[in-house]
Amino acid sequence: MNAGPIPLSALDLVLAAGLVVINGLLSLWLGLGLERKLFVASVRTVVQLLLLGWILMPVFTWNNQAVVFGICLAMVILATRAAVKRSSRSYRGAYRSSFVALLLGAGATALIGTWGIVGVEPWWQPRYLIPLLGMILGNGLTGISLGLDRCLTQLDEGRARVDVYLALGASRWEAARPVAADAMRSGMIPILNAMTVVGLVTIPGMMTGQILGGTDPAEAARYQILIMFLIASATAMGTALSVLLSLRALFDDDHRLRSERIEHSPS
Amino acid sequence: MSLQVTGLCRRVGERTLFEDLSFTVQAGETLAIQAPSGAGKTCLLRLLAWLDEGQGGEIRLEGRLPHEWTVPLWRTEVAYVAQKAPDLPGCPDDLVQATHRFAAWRTRQHQDPRVHAARWGLPDGAWTTNWSRLSGGEQQRAALAIALSRDPRVLLLDEPTSALDDEATAAIEADLADRTVVWVTHDKAQARRVGTRSLQLHQTSSVAGAS
Repeated sequence: MNAGPIPLSALDLVLAAGLVVINGLLSLWLGLGLERKLFVASVRTVVQLLLLGWILMPVFTWNNQAVVFGICLAMVILATRAAVKRSSRSYRGAYRSSFVALLLGAGATALIGTWGIVGVEPWWQPRYLIPLLGMILGNGLTGISLGLDRCLTQLDEGRARVDVYLALGASRWEAARPVAADAMRSGMIPILNAMTVVGLVTIPGMMTGQILGGTDPAEAARYQILIMFLIASATAMGTALSVLLSLRALFDDDHRLRSERIEHSPS
Repeated sequence: MSLQVTGLCRRVGERTLFEDLSFTVQAGETLAIQAPSGAGKTCLLRLLAWLDEGQGGEIRLEGRLPHEWTVPLWRTEVAYVAQKAPDLPGCPDDLVQATHRFAAWRTRQHQDPRVHAARWGLPDGAWTTNWSRLSGGEQQRAALAIALSRDPRVLLLDEPTSALDDEATAAIEADLADRTVVWVTHDKAQARRVGTRSLQLHQTSSVAGAS
């Protein structure tokens, strides 16, 4: 009964890839010009996920602390790159502050999840830590990139607005408060929306995976609840931190907004 | 009491807007600044308000540098009013409420800006109307009244009456007659009326011509 899912053969994956061919035909027929993108995306899906599976297999059996931390660090770095790249604007030091925000936000919540709540022994056991951190990072980076984008857009396009507050004697934090609040709000909204509809419209990926893997759906639901809360808190912490660090970098010690430090990323 | 400027220099990219600019504005004086467009009048005011970084020189108010005042406090004493109020959220009253939360404002007395603005013909209803729905002249008067309400030692005004009729302009000029003001205007007649001294900014390098 509970012996795990029916194994998928290479042939099964080829059949699944056949479904993507339908996308390609549609794109050709309607002239969407998406064939190339679709092909690249499909190949990346296959390569990245197979690679991940191959890497994780020995990592789970070795159970080596240094290897696990190395992989976690690589995950945070990749998530940082993705977060900064998604923002339409950037600044020197955006990588550093996003990295710090993701490392502290996602790292702290992953630690709370494995060690504090689930009680994994040892807390860095890769079977728990790596997928948990992955889920947290994947969602946290969305929050960070949205928050960063909103923050930089506001400071760039709304410079005159900030200057009015500064000219009236606001400190840099007082002047940046509306910007920070707005940026944090836009970083938090996706996860709040997801929490509202989860289980109604969508069955989250992790829960689907656990159910397919033979876990009792009630147990899978409890894990999913844990994950949602971890993601929500990581997103909040990460977004707040990255917005604060960005504001720190874009105002100087003389309470001046240095909007010339904002760069437009080629999109 | 005076605003003292020595050797001020401002470059934007390759362009030098002004350099080695020196002048003093004594208490109660109005320094009228006239210059062709693009000569850096707005940049000069922003520099005096410590909103931009200059490339040399010194600004002192009563002998003290901005740092010695602390920058937010400096800006409450040397109050810059931009030519055009930007698209602020909410209404003028919201901005007044926001300023009351600034640390630099808590320690000082401030008056009701409505009192000033009423003398300049700004209807009371304007304070609760969204900025975006106010006319340019209404925005100017509200912004100026807010700056004036905390009684700054120096006012930095960038074309403060450019969108106003003669009557409101005269009322504002009369109200500001005894104040210490750096007043940028393209209107020669106004410069003569309000200026106790005048400063000409020329393209590139400039000389402080006191008259």
